[in-house]
Amino acid sequence: MKNAPGKIVFTGSGIVCGSGSSVTEVWENLSAGETSIAEFHWERGRIRRYEWGNEGWPCRVASEVREDNRTLVPDRKLHKTISRKDMYGIYAAEQAIEDSGVLKCRDNMDAAGREAFNDRTGLIVGSGGGNYQDNYDFFPLIYEANEEMPGFGRELNNRVTPMWLLRNLPNNVLCHVGIRGQLKGTNACITNQCASSPMAVAEAASAIWNQEADRIVAVGHDSVLEPEHILYYDKLGLLSNEVPKPFDAARSGTVFGEGGGAVVMEREEEAVRRGASILGEFLGFGSTCEARGTTDLDPTGDGVMRAIEQALDDAELKPEDVGMICAHGNGTRASDLTEGLGIQSVFGSDIPPVTAFKWAYGHLIGAAGIVDLVMTLEALKQGRVPAISSLNKVDDQLADFPAQLKSLAPRTDVALVICRAFGGLNIVLAVRGLSG
Amino acid sequence: MSLTDKRRIAVTGIGLVTPVGNDRESTWEALLAGRSGGAQIENFDASGFSTTIGAEVKDFERENAGLCRKLLKGASRADGFALAAANEALSDAGIAPSDEDSHRWGVAVGAGMMSVDYDDLKVVYDYATEEGEFQPNGLLRQDYPADPISFCRWQSNSGLSLLTKAFGIRGYATSVHTACASGGQAIGSALKALRRGQCDKVLAGGFDSMLNPVGIAGFCLLGALSTDNDNPAGASRPFDETRNGFLLGEGAGFLVLEDWDAALERGAKIYAELGGDGNSLSCYRITDSPPDGNGPIQAIEQALADAGISAGEIDYVNAHGTSTQMNDRSECAALKTVFGNRVGDVSVSSTKSCMGHLIAAAGAVEAAVCCLAIRDSIAPVNANHQNPDPDCDVNLVTGESRAIEIRAALSNSLGFGGSNSSLVFLNPERGQL
Repeated sequence: MKNAPGKIVFTGSGIVCGSGSSVTEVWENLSAGETSIAEFHWERGRIRRYEWGNEGWPCRVASEVREDNRTLVPDRKLHKTISRKDMYGIYAAEQAIEDSGVLKCRDNMDAAGREAFNDRTGLIVGSGGGNYQDNYDFFPLIYEANEEMPGFGRELNNRVTPMWLLRNLPNNVLCHVGIRGQLKGTNACITNQCASSPMAVAEAASAIWNQEADRIVAVGHDSVLEPEHILYYDKLGLLSNEVPKPFDAARSGTVFGEGGGAVVMEREEEAVRRGASILGEFLGFGSTCEARGTTDLDPTGDGVMRAIEQALDDAELKPEDVGMICAHGNGTRASDLTEGLGIQSVFGSDIPPVTAFKWAYGHLIGAAGIVDLVMTLEALKQGRVPAISSLNKVDDQLADFPAQLKSLAPRTDVALVICRAFGGLNIVLAVRGLSG
Repeated sequence: MSLTDKRRIAVTGIGLVTPVGNDRESTWEALLAGRSGGAQIENFDASGFSTTIGAEVKDFERENAGLCRKLLKGASRADGFALAAANEALSDAGIAPSDEDSHRWGVAVGAGMMSVDYDDLKVVYDYATEEGEFQPNGLLRQDYPADPISFCRWQSNSGLSLLTKAFGIRGYATSVHTACASGGQAIGSALKALRRGQCDKVLAGGFDSMLNPVGIAGFCLLGALSTDNDNPAGASRPFDETRNGFLLGEGAGFLVLEDWDAALERGAKIYAELGGDGNSLSCYRITDSPPDGNGPIQAIEQALADAGISAGEIDYVNAHGTSTQMNDRSECAALKTVFGNRVGDVSVSSTKSCMGHLIAAAGAVEAAVCCLAIRDSIAPVNANHQNPDPDCDVNLVTGESRAIEIRAALSNSLGFGGSNSSLVFLNPERGQL
């Protein structure tokens, strides 16, 4: 990052999504071209409190997390006070912490040392703002109150759990990962819809840049696999009933996934001092919006172009230094086209290999960017840009766009991860990986 | 980078919509006079709830706030407050994003909890429940009014989207939701974006409205609200021994932040310098703040260090002061630790005594209050304080607002979930005081 007091490195990562619950497992599926998108089965019941079939629903496929609650978070008491999507965040965060070994160095410290360490250890989480179904807990109350307001107030305590608000706070993962790990330093919970989690990574870097913390756990988690989200995304023309085909001429929309991802970020000298194994380096980021309201996009790809340029500038890189791009590539008509145009505006005819992972594990909404980042670091480590396995023919409007039909090696050890969201938000992260 | 290298940031515009006034100056005047915004709730029939009072924004006609009507269609009640307050802040600053510099403008907001209001929830209830049981297939009925505008209204960043569109902001944009600390943290995020040079100007603030049946239900279930239903104006009494919960408010506050030198160059009026930001996580319990102030202490100390000043330079603290037993005790313990034997020299007040608790907007509105206190050299009163609490024996501004020189002011926000945010604002004429 420009004017940074030192390098910021990644020392651990964690992931859970429909394609697996470890970096190795998700990578194996991704590199083998295996998708985890399938017809979903709400009647499993362990995922939702109500039962329903999906006949008649406009979208019947998704990538679901298969692990049950107890596997994700063994603390059963906690299950009562948080929602399942919070467990994805806690699981991924603790996997990343474990992977990095970062908290182990507290073990040999005295009390004062531990306190100082905790105060310099931050936690930044990108969360979904909430789910529609959280509010359905009030339906029995509305019924009991004969749909009248005075009765709704009077009967409230008899019909709704006292923990209702706490269970539905957007910042639950922040709170519980913090308490469990005693991460007492700088923190935030970012609720930027699909851009929440890459923004958490970016804000973590900013906080380290600002010398507020020596190390930060950045997390993202979300699940919008619920009736109203599916219905409305479909009304907006964004959902498909088949595996998404990023940048394909015949792409027809995106498919929901769910899950969480996390990375541990540290000042390089701290990581080296404790002998951590380093996964990669955070180089810079860009953040732009398009000022067109919630769902409209700039048709020229200007927002994506500016975000990439900002990230390159922040990372002090030239376009030719970029070895691969992990695109947002959600498989919708407008987003993929404008993203492709934005990439072309920056790189001209010399575009590095472009891949996108939503064909494998769906669109994780608030968790999408960080899960893509975890897999991009793995791709750099493996020296392999996985193919977009659902891609047949690149959209003609994106002439010579190098979306990957086949896996190949990245041209350098630097990658860009692009993430886009409602509100015309574009976040681009620039990272360096271990060269394969 | 050393601390002295940090880019200096000026506050050059303020806009407010609060329960005590629908703009900056009327809010400020009410706070100085200690006028409460508490009253019986009028937006809906709250008679059945354990708490029937709140601090509502009154007589707010968003159609008259000079905003595009089409945009307002997609705006929730809180979004309407946000657009009006942001509009006031920008006109106060006398600048607005143009085609030339819109990409250098950012926006950071404390907001982003997806809270569907009762009316929209009732539509789902009408189509998709049987005897109060959710029946999803009811949503597939041909006549179900699945309105994309309603959907967009409740997305976590819908307010952010409206702000960027309304004012043509095309740079850095983010929403932060750490419950009651949201607004303060958003301003802290803006500070960092400006220091890093990611943008030159940021519209930073917060907005919220949980004064609806679902919102108030959540707090009633937790027993967090004052139930002094026959005394709405006195219900919020931070630091008073008899305090019994907070008064739920609503509203929005926005600041225009810009590079200090650029502000001087264009001859802008500067309310204050945004000097420092501090954040910590208490890691204690979800709803309670630790009794010894461990957590808030670190946030305050970090904000002071970030601003490069000592605790001795703070003359006014706008406390989080929610009027709950636990929060106020914890916050006072933190102030006593940070200020040590100088704690008696620091004027402290919680303006929640008048405005109630604006939740995600609170930190931003109270940051604006600190700037106005610096401008006018006056610490607004902590209203309704009659019975001193030995655990809260800080130098409270009781009785009436207090004229004092303010070299630097501190704004605290301590949220559910344990996030603590502290901001330091510096008097532009600090050197001469």
